[in-house]
Amino acid sequence: MRSLGILLRKELLATFGSPIGYTVAAVFLLVLGYTFSLTLFATKVANLIYIFHQMYVLTILLVPALTMRAFAEERRNDTLELLLTAPVGEIWVVLAKFLAVYGLVLAMYCGAFVYVGVLEAYGSPDWGPIGSGYLALVCHAALIVAIGLLMSSLTENQVVAAALTLGASLMLWFADSVAYLLPAPIDSVVLNLSLIGHFRPMVTGSVFVSDIGYFVSGALLALFLTTRRLAER
Amino acid sequence: MSKRYGATVALASLDLEIERGEVFGLLGPNGSGKTTFIRLLSGYLLPTDGQLEVCGCDAVQQSLEARRRIGYVPEAAPLYGYMRVREFLSFMARLRGLSDRAVRDTVDRVIAALALEPVADRLTRTLSRGFRQRTAIAQALVHDPELLILDEPANGLDPRQIIEIRALIRGLAGRHTVLMSSHVLGEVAKTADRVGILLDGRLRGVRAIADTPDLEEWFLSLA
Repeated sequence: MRSLGILLRKELLATFGSPIGYTVAAVFLLVLGYTFSLTLFATKVANLIYIFHQMYVLTILLVPALTMRAFAEERRNDTLELLLTAPVGEIWVVLAKFLAVYGLVLAMYCGAFVYVGVLEAYGSPDWGPIGSGYLALVCHAALIVAIGLLMSSLTENQVVAAALTLGASLMLWFADSVAYLLPAPIDSVVLNLSLIGHFRPMVTGSVFVSDIGYFVSGALLALFLTTRRLAER
Repeated sequence: MSKRYGATVALASLDLEIERGEVFGLLGPNGSGKTTFIRLLSGYLLPTDGQLEVCGCDAVQQSLEARRRIGYVPEAAPLYGYMRVREFLSFMARLRGLSDRAVRDTVDRVIAALALEPVADRLTRTLSRGFRQRTAIAQALVHDPELLILDEPANGLDPRQIIEIRALIRGLAGRHTVLMSSHVLGEVAKTADRVGILLDGRLRGVRAIADTPDLEEWFLSLA
């Protein structure tokens, strides 16, 4: 656990010492503010469903920019040799990188709390769907960040890592559309891989353990594969 | 011990023992397998078959224990550019298991030993090649390792820096076992106690420098 703390501190220094984190956070909040204002003035309805969907899309589009450097940059600069020849398990290296990026994404989400405050000040929002919506986003971000780390561990080219993450996330997003074209029982398997299929019920207030399990198990699988990839010598 | 990548043999049946406290030079042309051997010793790679023991620990079964006993400087002397020298050395010391209390004294000690005082508070990305190499060696020494592994330590240095690094390595002999690789005959002749010649992934011979008056002639006879 001490190793995790040491590595996490280093990762946070790297994240906040680079302009990428600030830029991504700024773009995220700017686009959200624009969308929130537009939706509120257009519909006059005090809910955040549109904002949650917007955050879902922005997470898929922006997280690859945060995760692409995680291992690709270390591999390219040869600093991965320093980490992997130090007496620390690969799992701590992976977890530190995951927590650093995940923490930044959650901090970006916290910035969106201001919209909850606006709704509370001028309307009577339904707190149930707002809570489950945030839960959906927290789960969604964990999966996308873990996929990003896995892709970054596969290459030393950051752009390739970002493109692979975006591609994998989009494939999962649209898995339900593909499922309708497939024969049984493959269609139900592919349908259950759908990101949006597990996100939508939660964001509208229906929390199922199966949906949470999808995101958590997907994230754990991606982190496990990343660790295995690093352990390949 | 051997290392293969698919059908490509990087190291073939290498059999070598390095004595405690000596400076061992691994000599060979580019692509001869020096870096592969060094990466195997450092724990960055694992052998395909055979046995590898580092400071009494099985490098595969007791990998973490073996890694605790080595200090490793890769060829590129990689550093985290967003850290200052002192900060980087403290990070590496903590990562290698030193307590928070010991880190400050240890870092001050290696900074003094490697004459890094003028750059101790500078970002590592702003360092000259010579100071980069010294910082990379300093990070490998923070935990006082039994075995110090240096991959091409004189690469890219100017003549004065080469002389300084050579003196530094000689100064480490005895207290530490040092394994260094090089493709420069003169460098190995002036620094090492013993030399092994690696050609096409095979160890062709091992000799004491004192018993090898003409290293160049011996190298050519093997090549």
